[in-house]
Amino acid sequence: MIALTQTLILGVLAGAVYALMASGLTLIFGVMRVINIAHGAFAVLAAFLTYSLWSAFGLDPLLAIPFIMVVMFGIGWVVYQGAVRHSRGSHVSMTVLVTFGIALVLEGVMGIIWGNRSASIRTDYTDASVEVGPFFFPQVQLLAAAIAVVVLIALYFLLNKTWLGRAIRAASVNESGALLVGVSVAAVAALTFAIGIATLGAGGAMLGAIQPIVPGTHYQWIARLLAIIVLGGFGSLPGAVIGAMIIGVTEMLATTYVGSAWPVAVPFLIIFIVLIVRPQGIMGARLREDLVS
Amino acid sequence: MAASRATRIAALTAGLSLLVGVSACATDSGGTTDDPIVIGASLPLTGEFSQGGLDTQQGYEVWVEMTNEAGGILGRDVEIVIRDDATNQNTVVTNYNNLISVDDVDLLLGSQSSLLNIPASAVAERNEMVFVCPSCGSPDMFNRGFEFIFFSQQAVATDQARVFAEWIAALPEDQRPKTAAYPSLDDPFAGPVVDGAEAILSAAGIETVYKDIYPATTKNFDSIVAAIAASGAEMVVQGAQFEDGVNFVRSMNRAGYEPDILYQSSSPTYGQQYFDGVGEDNTQGVFFSTSYSSVASTPGNAEFLAKYEEMFGGIPPEDAADGFAAGEVLKAAAEAVGGIDDQRALADWIRANEVQTILGTLSWNENGSPKGDFLVGQWQDGSAQIVLPAEAATSETIFRWRGAAFE
Repeated sequence: MIALTQTLILGVLAGAVYALMASGLTLIFGVMRVINIAHGAFAVLAAFLTYSLWSAFGLDPLLAIPFIMVVMFGIGWVVYQGAVRHSRGSHVSMTVLVTFGIALVLEGVMGIIWGNRSASIRTDYTDASVEVGPFFFPQVQLLAAAIAVVVLIALYFLLNKTWLGRAIRAASVNESGALLVGVSVAAVAALTFAIGIATLGAGGAMLGAIQPIVPGTHYQWIARLLAIIVLGGFGSLPGAVIGAMIIGVTEMLATTYVGSAWPVAVPFLIIFIVLIVRPQGIMGARLREDLVS
Repeated sequence: MAASRATRIAALTAGLSLLVGVSACATDSGGTTDDPIVIGASLPLTGEFSQGGLDTQQGYEVWVEMTNEAGGILGRDVEIVIRDDATNQNTVVTNYNNLISVDDVDLLLGSQSSLLNIPASAVAERNEMVFVCPSCGSPDMFNRGFEFIFFSQQAVATDQARVFAEWIAALPEDQRPKTAAYPSLDDPFAGPVVDGAEAILSAAGIETVYKDIYPATTKNFDSIVAAIAASGAEMVVQGAQFEDGVNFVRSMNRAGYEPDILYQSSSPTYGQQYFDGVGEDNTQGVFFSTSYSSVASTPGNAEFLAKYEEMFGGIPPEDAADGFAAGEVLKAAAEAVGGIDDQRALADWIRANEVQTILGTLSWNENGSPKGDFLVGQWQDGSAQIVLPAEAATSETIFRWRGAAFE
């Protein structure tokens, strides 16, 4: 029972980090119907920026998060205007190709700037744990989970309590209707992409503190993040959180009770099951056109 | 008329023969041309194994520089063409095919890791080109009946931890661990290292309480470490590459798990990168097997250290030394044979002879696997020391992981 509880604790904490990183991905798809294959590469970029601040100035990753989010917002906006914007309105497969190209460019740029060697951030809390009875809670993941909660709540309020949020939701539900009521959908799309990348910046900053980073690791992240939003429902923020928790916990359970080789299969297994049982995902809505097709 | 025609044919034949002969002399590798000898290699300069790939590249480059300064091979300068395979088994095959057919290289050096060298070596074998690889210790490299493949370290993976395991097995009973855990990367090199150690330790009565293989994509080791801690293992033998070894130690700290003995196969040999990744306190007492010691008095090591310092700074990591040694083997064979065109002669020479390298004296079995033993290293007070075998030791004390010395 202790082993099971410990596994669940580790799974929930891992899930919180996943949720933080997946929230931007689902937001971007929800508004723009863009599957951002470069999402993992942006996360690794944020981790490297955090590493540079830590190694050059000794800035703690936690304190670096606001700065990283601002920088990632700017990078997201520029990348959207420079590349992603041109694929909007195209078939979704075109957005996959464009963002895959962006991922490759980012990987190359990171390799040039930071090299293709591993970089590690080590602080007082990266290797420490909080012990409660027989259980341990890795401090770095506790902090990451707390940041995830703060960022996700902020994102929730942004989407539900602000004019920008209403514009984003309007654009995601009915682009033509949003245009009719005066929403500049193009501007909203650019802002949404930038916000999605900015929230990812917080996750990327913590990623650098959780594990060593190399430019090529982004491929592993995108598979997991896509599985999360497929499970939760494309475009659903609560769905992304639920999906992240399920995948985090399932990966840990698979590692402990089935074998260490199995977690890598978990995201793909979940995608298969979701596509068969509930194609719209846990929180995804089924549209009229889905029923017709 | 017939005689005249025969004369013309004879003259033409003689002329062609002369032309071919002159041409052959001009391109003869015995030293009558000044064209540089072009050596081709593919390395994982990006992707999962880029850490080792970049180190190996440095080793190759130092070897080329030193070889040219010493007059090259057979009087010809050496050039090296290195392609990036991005840690991809398909790309490495494409790269070696292109090196042979497009770049028309004269000689080959291997890639980094058994994972990449297994498919790469098949290309070399098919083209009957000698393939000296600096990092290809998997037994799967040498069970295919290949004739042109040579591993330029001291032993294959199954024997990599042998000296360490035999030392543990010979400890007095009150100091010997009773239980062991064997987590390993799913990799043709790392797995056999662990299997080889387990066979010796199990025979000595050390019970296996955990054994599992994790994929290269594993980044979070918290649940694996939690399971090992729950098993009560007193010793951990991990088959690791680099990043997984670092992440594993970090997870051990988070779980508060501290076995008496920690052995990792490759990760601790990455020098400063490993030191930065896990932190100095956590390096203390970590065992590893290594092909190279920077303080060894092997032939050419002092010059290698000086040139590496000049070109890249610092102490060379193991993979750089392994890359350099692979070049030394190739050079020794070419100079002994007196040419580079007869690749079978080069292979036969390597198989039948010993080569003095910065790793020590290397020699090979019929299948190209090496005959020697690895050194056993241990991180002590922030630096990597050789602790076994005793005659090569740079430190007489052997420690438990973050603990007291063995008596």
